[in-house]
Amino acid sequence: MTSHDASRDVPQVLLDVHHLALRIGEAEILRDVSLSLRRGEVLGLLGPNGAGKTTTIAAALGLLPRHAGTVRLLGRDPAGAGAAVRARVGVLPDPNGFHDGLTAEESLAFFAGLYGLAPGAAELGRRLAQVGLERVRAEPVSTFSRGMRQRLGLARAMVADPELLVLDEPTAGLDPGGRREMHDLLLALAADRSTGILLCTHQLDEVERLCGRVAVIVEGRTAAEGGLSELLAARASPHRYRLRLAGPPPDGAGSPRHVRVAGRVGDWTAVDVDPAVPPEAAWRELLFLGWPVVEIERGGGGLEELYLDLTAGGAP
Amino acid sequence: MTPAALVARIEARELLASPRGRLWLLLLSAALSAFALLLVSSTELGLLDRAQVLYAQLGLVTALGALLAVVQGADAVAGERERGSLLPLLVAPVSRGAILRGKLGGQAAAWGATALLALPYLWAGGASGAGLLRAGALLLLLGTPVVLTFGLLATGLGARLRTVRAALLAALVVLLLSASPLLLGPGLRQTAAGRAFDLVNPFSHALNGFDEVVVDSAPLAAQVVHLGVVVAWFALALRYALAGVRKVAR
Amino acid sequence: MVHLFLAACLAFAAPPTAAAPLAPAPAAGPLSVALVPAPGAPVRPRMGDRLSFHSVIRNGGEAPVEGLVAWVSLVRVDRGQEAPVDLEDWSAQKAVTLPSLGPGQSLEADWPMRLIQAGDYRVVVSAASRDGSALAASPLRPFTVARRPVVESRRVVPVALGLPGLLAASFLPWRRLRRRRP
Repeated sequence: MTSHDASRDVPQVLLDVHHLALRIGEAEILRDVSLSLRRGEVLGLLGPNGAGKTTTIAAALGLLPRHAGTVRLLGRDPAGAGAAVRARVGVLPDPNGFHDGLTAEESLAFFAGLYGLAPGAAELGRRLAQVGLERVRAEPVSTFSRGMRQRLGLARAMVADPELLVLDEPTAGLDPGGRREMHDLLLALAADRSTGILLCTHQLDEVERLCGRVAVIVEGRTAAEGGLSELLAARASPHRYRLRLAGPPPDGAGSPRHVRVAGRVGDWTAVDVDPAVPPEAAWRELLFLGWPVVEIERGGGGLEELYLDLTAGGAP
Repeated sequence: MTPAALVARIEARELLASPRGRLWLLLLSAALSAFALLLVSSTELGLLDRAQVLYAQLGLVTALGALLAVVQGADAVAGERERGSLLPLLVAPVSRGAILRGKLGGQAAAWGATALLALPYLWAGGASGAGLLRAGALLLLLGTPVVLTFGLLATGLGARLRTVRAALLAALVVLLLSASPLLLGPGLRQTAAGRAFDLVNPFSHALNGFDEVVVDSAPLAAQVVHLGVVVAWFALALRYALAGVRKVAR
Repeated sequence: MVHLFLAACLAFAAPPTAAAPLAPAPAAGPLSVALVPAPGAPVRPRMGDRLSFHSVIRNGGEAPVEGLVAWVSLVRVDRGQEAPVDLEDWSAQKAVTLPSLGPGQSLEADWPMRLIQAGDYRVVVSAASRDGSALAASPLRPFTVARRPVVESRRVVPVALGLPGLLAASFLPWRRLRRRRP
């Protein structure tokens, strides 16, 4: 398939967002967002629902006008960059839809056509094989499961060999095997083709597996941005534990003096233990207060704790 | 193939090849059949002469075409947004104008299919030879701008409102109002307000053009005023839709 | 206009040698009813045309007729289809009433109708008093409604039933394809 290589300049920083602010009507959606994504990097974009992740993506792609700050997409301001820059970006949105009357192959050919490409049947087959859909290339998209649609969405996003891939929940609806294949494919893309990937997800294990860097957006601001290992090291605490509780702590029993709740995810509660007391004393206090503790893990330094810290306990 | 042609081809395929699209054509055909059977079974309608039958059929075909265009128009942006297929389209290296031209092409193809579907019914109603040709020309000249005006209106509404349902409802209300002369007939012109409405309403101009040519045997060339008004409305609707599509962010 | 009127009178007078226009039918009581086609009526009416008859009901007696009611009746006389016609679709003007018709006075009334079906017809206007002591009917006025080439069912029915059928049949291959798929 013909790509746009000949006309491409090759900036190392594919996306650079500085102090981005954006209002929609009277609502201040983004207050101060900064992040950057380099070639060959996978940047995880995290944040609670409504934090401004999707708006950040739309502004970064030049689809929404910003009120303050700067955005450089492939070295240019996306607001005036036009088709030439957009041709070098692939997007997998969430939700991810198609014209249901088309087959997988027709759908891919249609989007290739929009990028000025005319791939033959063999090339389309190769593209579909890349995402595990070659067997169903002639099937209408209307008959596809959600996981198959995600795979086809990724093939669509990659149809013009983009330098920057923006993926919103790419593994939603995929079975564990499918997730693993998708992860391997994205890692290979980033490593072999120097594609930059902006990965917007709520799956923290996915971020840990795929992303070298993360940006966490909370209430329209970048709460943290940087290398994942650096961020975790900076936040690591020897006093952070994870408790699995059989139920909620009893009401009216009073707050523990030596334990502070940092956040909750599912059955697990992240707590910080008072450095002045040994942990065993803290657990005794909790049991005395009637906390239904089932399991205790040392939890300092994980992405989940970092996320919980930054988002003040909001669900991912 | 240009991006606009690509989009138009896909939109047209959705109508002609997909089960949903063919169901629409089947419903249009059923509506035209119901009217035709009413003509032969109703004592009152059976007394209409051929010109009156043709006039009524042309109005009905235009209204059905506009209805289909409204459904397509509401889906053009708002539907793509709800399905999650809009963002990849917006990010693709295609101008908003080309996207709109493509969507408009799809609506025009649907109208073409509707008009073709109507031709056998016009023949059955009594039009043949030159009469059938004249009816086809009327649908092309006066029906096309009216139908596409409503399609563009729905497209513009879909770009501004958040859901297909809201866009569809708003566009249908406008279409019902505009097509009301089809039901009210000349009675509408008995009041000053009715006459003023008739003067600005594109649907009225199409109907009046059909009336003058088919019933009163006026020449097609004499329909310049009616044609001018419906084309002006088309231009306004195009501008409205383009402004809406340009504003769409995701 | 006069010519048209005369022509219409002649066209609807049956037989041609019958009584002159406005000549009342023989009456049993003081009332007499004359009936002619109204001026401007079409000479050869066709389906869908409007036709109007004009009647004059006269009280030739010496006492007033109280509670006068006059009504129009229509019968179809085609061979094998002889039957009274339900005027529901034909006319909104089916009767007139007058509280009292004085001696020597007359009541004029028009009977407009829309010609719904082709065929040979006879129209008659009858008048009666409230107590039934006076009753009169006009002469039968014949008229023929010609067919009008309008919508032809031999064209409409095949198209109206065939085209949706064809479109519905086009769904079959797609449904079969779907069923084949696991």
